Amino acid sequence: MALEETIKDAIFNWEEEKLRDTCKKAIKDDINPIELVNIIGDAMKILGEKFEKEELMLPELIVAANIVKSAIDEILDPAIRERGEVRESKGKIVIGTVEGDVHSIGKDLVASFLFSNGYEVYNLGVDVKAHDFIKKAEEVNADVIGLSSLVTLSMDFQRQVIETMKKEGIRDKYKVIVGGAPTSADWAKKIDADAWADDSLDAVKKINQLLAKN
Amino acid sequence: MKMSKLEVLGQDEIEQIHSATLQLLSKVGIKIDCKNTQKKLGEYGCEVDKNSDFVRIPEALVMEMVKKVPKSFTLNGPDASFNFEVNTKSTQFATIGTPVKIYDPNKKKGVRKTLLADTIEQIRIVDTLKHINCSHVDVWPNDVKYTALHAHAMYQWVMNTRKPYGLGCYGGLPSQDMMNIASIACGGDEELIKNPRLVGFFSTTSPLHFPKIMTNGFKVFAKYKQPTIVAPEALAGSSAPVTLAGLLTQTNAENLGGAVLAQIYNPGARLFYGTVSHITDMKTGNSAMGSIETGLITVAVAQLANFYGYPSRGPGGVTDSKILDLQNGFERLQTLLLAAQAGINYITCAGTYEATLVESLELLLIDDELVGMVKRALNGIEVNENTIALDVIEKVATSEKKGSTFLGEMHTLKNMKKSLYMPELVDRNRRNTWWKKGAKDIIERAREKVDVILKDHIRPEVPEKIKTQLEKYIEKVESRTLKDYMEAEGLDSASAPVPGSNI
Repeated sequence: MALEETIKDAIFNWEEEKLRDTCKKAIKDDINPIELVNIIGDAMKILGEKFEKEELMLPELIVAANIVKSAIDEILDPAIRERGEVRESKGKIVIGTVEGDVHSIGKDLVASFLFSNGYEVYNLGVDVKAHDFIKKAEEVNADVIGLSSLVTLSMDFQRQVIETMKKEGIRDKYKVIVGGAPTSADWAKKIDADAWADDSLDAVKKINQLLAKN
Repeated sequence: MKMSKLEVLGQDEIEQIHSATLQLLSKVGIKIDCKNTQKKLGEYGCEVDKNSDFVRIPEALVMEMVKKVPKSFTLNGPDASFNFEVNTKSTQFATIGTPVKIYDPNKKKGVRKTLLADTIEQIRIVDTLKHINCSHVDVWPNDVKYTALHAHAMYQWVMNTRKPYGLGCYGGLPSQDMMNIASIACGGDEELIKNPRLVGFFSTTSPLHFPKIMTNGFKVFAKYKQPTIVAPEALAGSSAPVTLAGLLTQTNAENLGGAVLAQIYNPGARLFYGTVSHITDMKTGNSAMGSIETGLITVAVAQLANFYGYPSRGPGGVTDSKILDLQNGFERLQTLLLAAQAGINYITCAGTYEATLVESLELLLIDDELVGMVKRALNGIEVNENTIALDVIEKVATSEKKGSTFLGEMHTLKNMKKSLYMPELVDRNRRNTWWKKGAKDIIERAREKVDVILKDHIRPEVPEKIKTQLEKYIEKVESRTLKDYMEAEGLDSASAPVPGSNI
């Protein structure tokens, strides 16, 4: 079986060990790990399209994304660094669920989709304080900060992140996108965010647009 | 896993109904028009009243014949992979009704008369359904000669589906046509008898009357051992006592009487203990098929069938609603769920509404979805080390990653399809997503799926030789007149219920 086929097969069948072993062996055979990341990206794109068409269940997508992430973080990225190369990304995204909110499903899905679409994603988890978003964005020189909120009570923390950025004079350094069930385009405008995403696929589309404008 | 069957009768109450039934059969009997059947029953020790045509059946004969009814059988499709077994433990789902109209949102009244094209579409849709295993002559076409309707329906069954089929045993001659056509399609009488293809409906006339035209057909179905449903449609308060125990006793007598006839016609004839009984609406005198009491009667029938030890048939998914509204939805689910939870072995009427007088292909798909859900409910909750999933709970709960969920766990991926029913038509989107997808209701979504199915469905390959034979047979049936049928059934015009006269 050709390398590309083996990698895709492992991802489509959620075989973590097979994926890791195939990557390790390919690196040993002197195949450029960036090439492997690209193959993985293609596979995830196929899964994303299937999910969009409702041919794939959510766990099938998330488990695949988890498997892929561990292979990239633990095997491919270290190998790329070792070769002194840099993996090009479409942009760096810091993402998290705002303070007071512990809902992670939608936000994780957005992170998975961004990752499969070639973005470098820093997923800070849930109940993330304003300063922690800013700290991470400064540290990695992010392009976009994504703020998720699922409960109405936590929505105002999205505004607080933006207000804190303004106070610190760094509002214009980053694009800010907000999303989550209680939010809306009007809300995003009201709190001075750059964009609002309706769902995970919309988030990718909007971030693509935000960064294309630059 | 503990799955209790729904019961509405205690053991002592079943025995009380049983004992009253035997008394009814031996003291009053059943009015049987057919003289030959009367004669045959007389030979078995029944007392025949020549004036009233009532045949009194002794207790011992009833019990002897009931014991002969097979406990299980397989219904065979033209394609063997669609065969399924009916037994006293299984739950199978099918269509049936007498729709003469079909849902059409473009018409002012929301319905139009059915055509043969609709009959064909209904058969083709059922052919693709996951949970509904058998169709019957559901859609009665208005554009074919009604004396040849059965032959046309049978021909379309052969041409369009891989699943078994069913028809009412309305008359000896038409029933013989059905056998002949099935025999041509499956390769001979011997094969047809050994591996039955057709479900028959023997509709009694409550109270306690087996009309000649029905017994004529019943005899043919019994001869060919095609599984036949004894199907009393008694209405509490009009054609049966308003008290449901009385209705059950009366219809039990009709069922056991049917069993006696079938076993006398042909020992080992395959039968269902059936019901499609419901109630009379006391305000209007109309029948109320979607009533909650329909469900109660059906549950009791499942218990009675179980008492006699042969497969049961009952209605599910029935409603009196004239439109596709909430009443349509809750009545179809309440009757379906009660029938399934009671353990009815063959649940019918998918795809119909307005007391089965109207068909909707959209509802047919929705019913398939409902059946999927009901089957999931019947499968209960499996308890073992894997399903308790202690290790997964620990892993997710103690994960260092804040906000970890079970969605990304391999355990979820491996077990989700067994643990959770995955609906195809039900909408669970968030409002925005639903809105973006066109804000469609379930009927519109089902319509879209109907269109896709009809576009993609591939008909079975029927050899040219069989096709020609069948076409010739239809020509023969087409050439008959109503008078031919009257003579064949031994009916005079004054007493004959004219087939299709309600269309």
